[in-house]
Amino acid sequence: MIKIVTDSTADIPLSVREDYGIEMVPLKVHFGEETYLDAITIHPEQFYDKLSKAEQLPTTSQPSPVDFLDTYKKLSVDEDVEIISIHLSSALSGTYQSAVLAKSLLEDKANVTIIDSKSASYGLGLLVIAAAEAVKQGKNKAEIIRLVQDLRNGTKIYFVVDTLEYLKKGGRIGKASALLGSLLNIKPILTGNEAGEAAPLDKVRGHKKAMLRIIEMMKEDFAGKEIKVTVGHCKAQESADELSLMVKEHFQINDIKCIDIGPVIGTHVGPGTAAVFAHLA
Amino acid sequence: MGKRSINGMEFASMVMSGANVLERQVETVNEMNVFPVPDGDTGTNMNLTIKSGMHELNHQPSNHIGKAAETLSKGLLMGARGNSGVILSQLFRGFAKSVAGLEEVDTNQFAAALLQGVETAYQAVVRPVEGTILTVSKETAKHAVICARRTDDLAVFMQEVFVKAQETLDYTPELLPVLKQVGVVDSGGQGLVFIYEGFLSFLTGGTSGLPKGNGASFKKEELSGRALQKERTSAQSKIATEDIEFRYDMEFFIDLSADSSSAALFDDGYFRKELEKDGNSILVVVNDDLVKVHVHSKAPGKVLELALNYGELSKIQIENMRDQHRNLLSKEDKQLALKPFGMVAVGIGEGIEQIFKSLGVDGVLSGGQTMNPSTEDIVNAVNQIKAQTVFVFPNNSNIILAAQQAVDLTDKEVIVIPTKTIPQGISAALAFQEASSAGVNQDSMLKAISQVRSGQVTWAVRDTQIDHLEIKEGDYIGLLDNKIVTSAADLLEVCQQLLGLMISTGDEILTVLTGLDITEQQSNELENCIKQNFNGVEMEIHSGGQPVYLYIFSVE
Repeated sequence: MIKIVTDSTADIPLSVREDYGIEMVPLKVHFGEETYLDAITIHPEQFYDKLSKAEQLPTTSQPSPVDFLDTYKKLSVDEDVEIISIHLSSALSGTYQSAVLAKSLLEDKANVTIIDSKSASYGLGLLVIAAAEAVKQGKNKAEIIRLVQDLRNGTKIYFVVDTLEYLKKGGRIGKASALLGSLLNIKPILTGNEAGEAAPLDKVRGHKKAMLRIIEMMKEDFAGKEIKVTVGHCKAQESADELSLMVKEHFQINDIKCIDIGPVIGTHVGPGTAAVFAHLA
Repeated sequence: MGKRSINGMEFASMVMSGANVLERQVETVNEMNVFPVPDGDTGTNMNLTIKSGMHELNHQPSNHIGKAAETLSKGLLMGARGNSGVILSQLFRGFAKSVAGLEEVDTNQFAAALLQGVETAYQAVVRPVEGTILTVSKETAKHAVICARRTDDLAVFMQEVFVKAQETLDYTPELLPVLKQVGVVDSGGQGLVFIYEGFLSFLTGGTSGLPKGNGASFKKEELSGRALQKERTSAQSKIATEDIEFRYDMEFFIDLSADSSSAALFDDGYFRKELEKDGNSILVVVNDDLVKVHVHSKAPGKVLELALNYGELSKIQIENMRDQHRNLLSKEDKQLALKPFGMVAVGIGEGIEQIFKSLGVDGVLSGGQTMNPSTEDIVNAVNQIKAQTVFVFPNNSNIILAAQQAVDLTDKEVIVIPTKTIPQGISAALAFQEASSAGVNQDSMLKAISQVRSGQVTWAVRDTQIDHLEIKEGDYIGLLDNKIVTSAADLLEVCQQLLGLMISTGDEILTVLTGLDITEQQSNELENCIKQNFNGVEMEIHSGGQPVYLYIFSVE
């Protein structure tokens, strides 16, 4: 039997996780002295509310190897279990490192494969769901791993942030720093690149232009191909709805899911962020 | 019978005479601006250009006309400002190429050189416009070739050249409708005619202008002194700062005539010997009553006291060479870490400068409609940036050519993005992506500037008629992409009309840069007016602090 494990940054809604039986290991969010377990003791609504009132920006931390060890042990009580553990980009977080460490602490009999998604948020989430779906269909481990890798390579993430301050404070961006403190209302558009880092794609004047530019880039990247799209946001429902509407219009897609980007990723991109996760159908 | 040929020194005097006439007429040329916009510094631009040429020529005089013309051409190129200045520099560049290798020239060679100047200028200008300085130079040169066959008297020849130039100038309104509308001749062409007038005046024995006296001979020395210093500097990188024994690099003049009652008789040999006690690299040049002294010394006080015995000291310069050396070394360190790209923008106004800097522009060069930076200014700005490739945004159609000339005058790769307005410059800076190649960046910058509409609001400096617009002095006028499209006595009305032409779909982004003279109340009034009339545009108002333009609008 194959079990799928991920972490809280996949931003997969609880109900979906339960449906597929996906195991989730939480990262942590720290507001000063208070520590919260992402997607367990703190949820988007409450997080963004706290964020707006916080004097000091929160910080985040990866799960400890013991957190993973406990999960892997729990799942491998049954000796037949094969675990595929898919995680947040190793370029952004030590989460993958913790998982790898946990695996080395396991007795030999446990069968764990750890995948660095080189992605984040629902870019990771959609890989996890695809893997869980494949498990349902009875695919074997090798097939699932290949499927996850192919899907990863066929997925594009576009996200527009309100300000680069959050990415900068979290140390998650280097090269786009030229725009920090810009006097004009400039919206940076970023992507997750092949190395799994946040990388600038473009910068445009104002909110509307940013949305239009994302659509334009999607057309360039997926010219003439059928795609599936999910939108996500950090307390920016209106932007997400707008994006969703535009994607529907330009790509003739009827069904677009909308997800909340959770506290950990939200800490690093900041409120107001809107994202598109697109891949070949 | 007059002169049949001129050599390098005479050539220099002739050009100086031309420069003098132009300088006296700077305001006349400035006032000939075609648009009733308070810009009009064609005269200033040409004057500063030719002054830069003369400066170079005075430093390196030569009897050889080929060499003199080449020196002049180099100086003009470095100082070129504005379109007319750039064209002027190209006319003389072609002239210099034509006379290269000649000791002196006769009328035929002079005419051929004028013609080659015209060819060079036409090649340098991307889209030559007839009815401008180009036409004046072309028709004049063609006529000069014919005249040269008829006469070998330079004064007679130049008389005909000047008359032809004046005639062509008078005809420019027939070639360029905008001149006719406003009722002026072309300002750049007029500048050139003034220069020819100066040439004529020199050749017929009128005023000549080469400065005489002590200055010229000393300048030679200064030059070699500078060359000396350069050599020393490069050699210094090989030695340690502490090894510099004669630490103070001194230069000054002693005026032996001043204070003569108490002064001791100057003895060249004795003076040198005294300097040698604490110094080296000694240079003492005596010219009548002036003595130029250069020495590296460890006792600068003693040197000055000694010199004071003979007269009054002036232009005293003392540099600590250990300091210079340390600076040099740290400079060399920094050169190792060149970033791939840099950006230079031309703009005026505190707010505009800040906006460019906030967009990652490394250097903002002060200048705009009324103050065009020279090629040299641009070269200097580019050289100051520690980057391999530098994008330059001229932000004014009159600065683009000067910027393009900078490309060949620096070791760095320079890419000029031909931005004609501040909004275009902002768009270009915004399109920059650090991770992309220079070519990709250039393409996306060009695309960005094509997608922005620029509006400018200013006032008319005189009555005029442009197309179907009757404009009164003092009226506010609105320019869309540098063309006057609206005018009215009321500022808000002009803004509203101009914005009406700029905003089409209603979902654009409007950026307003308020000028130096706009009050907070005026800015608020405009904001309310825009909100009422242009519902749906995303609007940003910033203080630009620019002179001349009350408002700059950008719609994208």
